Amino acid sequence: MQLQLAWRNIWRNPRRTLIILTAVVIGAWTMLFFGALSRGMAESMLTNSINNLTGHIQIQKQGYRDDPVVENRINDPTPIKALLDQDLPPEAKWAFRIEVNGVASNARNSKGVTIVGIDPDREPDLSFYGQSVTEGRALRPDDAHGILVGQGLLDSMDTKPGRKIVLMTQGADKETASRAFKIRGVYRAELEATEKRYVFVTLPAARKLLGVKNAVTSACIRLPEREQVGPMAETLGKHLPKGLSLLTWEDMLPLLTGYLSMFDSFMFLWYLVVFVAMGFGIVNTTLMAVLERTREFGLLKALGMKPARIVRGVLTECLILLLVGLVAGNALGLLTVLVLSGGIDLSFMAEGSQYFGMSHLIFPKLMARDVVAANGVILVLGLLVSLYPALKAGRITPVEAMAQT
Amino acid sequence: MEILMAWRNVWRNPRRSVLTILAIAFACLLLIFMLSFQFGMYEVMINAAVKVQTGHLQVIAKDYDKDMKMRWVVEDPQAVGDLMLAVPHITAHTFRANGFALLSSRDRTYGGMVTGVLPAREREISSTASTIRQGAYLEPGDTNQAVVGSLLAKNLHISVGDELVLLGNARDGSIAATVLNVKGVFSSGMDEYDRSAIQIPLPYFQEVFAMRGAVHQVVAVCDSLTAVGPAQSTVTGNLPKVKSKRNLECKSWDELLPGLIQSIQMDLGGGIIFYLILIVVVAFSIMNTFLMAVFERTHEFGTLMAIGAKPARLTKMLLYESAFLTSCGIILGIAAGCALTIYVESTGITLGEAQGMLRQYGIPNVMRPELSWLTAVTGPFVVFFITMLTALYPAFKVRKLKPVEAMHAI
Amino acid sequence: MSIVHIDNVTKTYRQGKVDVHALSGISLDISKGGFTVLAGPSGSGKTTLLNLMGGLDNPTSGSITLDGEVITGLSQSRLADMRLEKIGFVFQAYNLIPVLSAQENVEYVMLMQGVPAKERSERARAVLDDVGLEGKYSRRPAELSGGQQQRVAVARAIVSHPSIVLADEPTANLDSKTGQGLLEIMCEMNEKRNATFIFSTHDQMVMDYAKRLVHLKDGRIVDDETR
Repeated sequence: MQLQLAWRNIWRNPRRTLIILTAVVIGAWTMLFFGALSRGMAESMLTNSINNLTGHIQIQKQGYRDDPVVENRINDPTPIKALLDQDLPPEAKWAFRIEVNGVASNARNSKGVTIVGIDPDREPDLSFYGQSVTEGRALRPDDAHGILVGQGLLDSMDTKPGRKIVLMTQGADKETASRAFKIRGVYRAELEATEKRYVFVTLPAARKLLGVKNAVTSACIRLPEREQVGPMAETLGKHLPKGLSLLTWEDMLPLLTGYLSMFDSFMFLWYLVVFVAMGFGIVNTTLMAVLERTREFGLLKALGMKPARIVRGVLTECLILLLVGLVAGNALGLLTVLVLSGGIDLSFMAEGSQYFGMSHLIFPKLMARDVVAANGVILVLGLLVSLYPALKAGRITPVEAMAQT
Repeated sequence: MEILMAWRNVWRNPRRSVLTILAIAFACLLLIFMLSFQFGMYEVMINAAVKVQTGHLQVIAKDYDKDMKMRWVVEDPQAVGDLMLAVPHITAHTFRANGFALLSSRDRTYGGMVTGVLPAREREISSTASTIRQGAYLEPGDTNQAVVGSLLAKNLHISVGDELVLLGNARDGSIAATVLNVKGVFSSGMDEYDRSAIQIPLPYFQEVFAMRGAVHQVVAVCDSLTAVGPAQSTVTGNLPKVKSKRNLECKSWDELLPGLIQSIQMDLGGGIIFYLILIVVVAFSIMNTFLMAVFERTHEFGTLMAIGAKPARLTKMLLYESAFLTSCGIILGIAAGCALTIYVESTGITLGEAQGMLRQYGIPNVMRPELSWLTAVTGPFVVFFITMLTALYPAFKVRKLKPVEAMHAI
Repeated sequence: MSIVHIDNVTKTYRQGKVDVHALSGISLDISKGGFTVLAGPSGSGKTTLLNLMGGLDNPTSGSITLDGEVITGLSQSRLADMRLEKIGFVFQAYNLIPVLSAQENVEYVMLMQGVPAKERSERARAVLDDVGLEGKYSRRPAELSGGQQQRVAVARAIVSHPSIVLADEPTANLDSKTGQGLLEIMCEMNEKRNATFIFSTHDQMVMDYAKRLVHLKDGRIVDDETR
């Protein structure tokens, strides 16, 4: 009965209701859609970083992270293998790597690169490696002289598959070590910086270059879901051999982690700003509706209605208004995200997006948390600001009401 | 009298008008602050990049900016330098040569970008000399002295006085090798640069890398950003006079930093979309006020029409009212927005955990908005425009009123 | 000489789903300078007839001639001009502009006619003096009593020397004493300015002042007496 009454009251002035509904709908829609878009951008930065050889968890020698040189290698990786085989769920992927900085040169050019020694059978599950070999082929496990380079590096070194590249780096004996490799294939990556930075060789080849026997610098682990990282890191941490450290992606990407945590506050701030913009409209419209009905409220009071009931009535009207607006806004937001689920192409801004470490294709990502936050902000604050006109209605006295024409 | 009437009408319902004015002021305030903030940040980013890396203009061999190949040189830098001396607004220029090399300290080896600079002239153009954290900057007459980026120094485990072995490819493809003495460590604030850059005197660079007198970049700065365009076209026009095997080109800072410019455009573009949406939400928020101004007073408009007022007169009156309301909001918003911006300009904002992230783009720890005419006026102007657009609907709606019906309405 | 000529006018409203015949075939001639009262119970059609004479509404059929000009079928804009130049209105609920002072309310009509500011002010004060509102020039309607407000309305109606002043139940919201005072003033203006006054009313006191009394009932003239 109360609900029905409120519903009818709302539609006493359909135009006014529709206008304020539009404000709420646009507000909710933009909160949702732009939230999803921003999340998509952040997600893209994160995915790119994780794919960029970071993985979800890495096990390294203590000190390697601050000083990634061959000195800080793990000489005997067998305990790690045993540990991972035992503790990791079967769907998780992992592999050993050797990752050191060095120089790639040919007759005319030298470029600074990161030399990555990988296990060609296991690495494709972990990183972008092997996902887009455009020329030639990926490395074979027994390849002692093969190297896979990025298109960007290939271009800037004026070379092509089949040609030689010399890798130089600091060996285990602290002397400069070098070894010649033949370009077997070329890969493309989302970011040109990646293509220019990483060259891949097989683990045995990297060991020969560095002059080490069985050593690796890290084990990289990728779990089916990012949410599993925390618990898994805890499990692994318990049995970790001495002298090793376990790093999650949050440890390895502190900048991005910081940015993502700030991101939540930014989103909330944006929600607040949009809310304030429509809050003025909600207050004003409700206030108008209330003042217009001064006589009516006065009459109801004269008939013996309690102020609390009037306040509740006005709040119910606001609640219905907000709910209708939210339903429409959410539907619109969902629809937009759905329509754009194929990705938004930012390639016309390719260099700009690369600057931020994003792909040129952004997939809006609707997160339950954001939907709840957006709706919560509108609903809670919306009702809060409606209190003002509602209380005003509750305070109207019959005498006052009759005096007003 | 009609203006007076409109003004009094605005204040007939003070509560409603104040709420509306506040909504408009809020939008203006936010726009002014955010735009000032964004533009302040862009300026810092551009200045940092220009000061540390590119200068305003560079004369380089064609495509050298895309791919820093050793052999793409400016063979006669002096001729280009003389040409620049004659160009108005160019206040200083210098020569640079760059080579990638393997740098080895006692216990570490890293790759780095070695730049040969003219110390005295470089001081006038780049900020490197003023960002020395340890030791001293290069002096003319120095030979195998080097200043090293702070992060590179940390990676190499070196400090002032240590030796550094350089191994690279010379211009002719031969091996360039020498031993350098670390004279200073600089910290430009741009991590990417500090991680790889090392500077040595240009003459010594030319000797080690067998440059035969050639350089890679002739870098110039102008007295203002607006002078860059004209200076660039003058230089470009005169370049064919300089003999060179590979064509030379003159590029401005924005062409040299396409990523920076696009990232600014992206940020600004995203911002503009946000702001427009915000304004639209505000517009719908206040549309009811404008509409109510008509419907509440239908009876009054009926009377006015009965005594002979034409619809155009009523439309005009309503538009005056909306303009008053909007103007009040905008003036309040501009005042509050400017006050807030100026206040934050003096205190600055520290961005907590995101600092590290932003340092990559050369943004300092404390960010300051920068109020300018552009940032103070653009937002409010757009708000005024869109709000008045909103006001048009009720203002023209009044034309549909019929006197008899209007007077019967309550 | 007739200033208003009404020829077989009918007016039909559509109210909800039913047609309401407000006027069914009215013909009437009103001569210049008269003080005519249209009397009848509510729903008799007197307000409708007044609205039609004032060009606020168009008849369903028939024609109305005002001061020699046929006003039936004129455009809204022409009608507005006509109202501004030839007609003064006095409404039952005064209908003053609440944000304007007494003087400004009177001036507003002249403003629309393009009268210079100085002359406006002088004429407005003169006419306010005539209706007995000396010294209350700058009061807002809310600061005036009902009778005073209606006097401002009369001043506003006659200030621009209209040919006809139409008054729709002008005394209905006033007590009898105030109403009588107002009628005295209107009679005085009728004589002084030689304006034609047409009233609608069901108030006996107003009828007593009439020089011509036209009785309406169910949209027809049932009686027409000249005294």
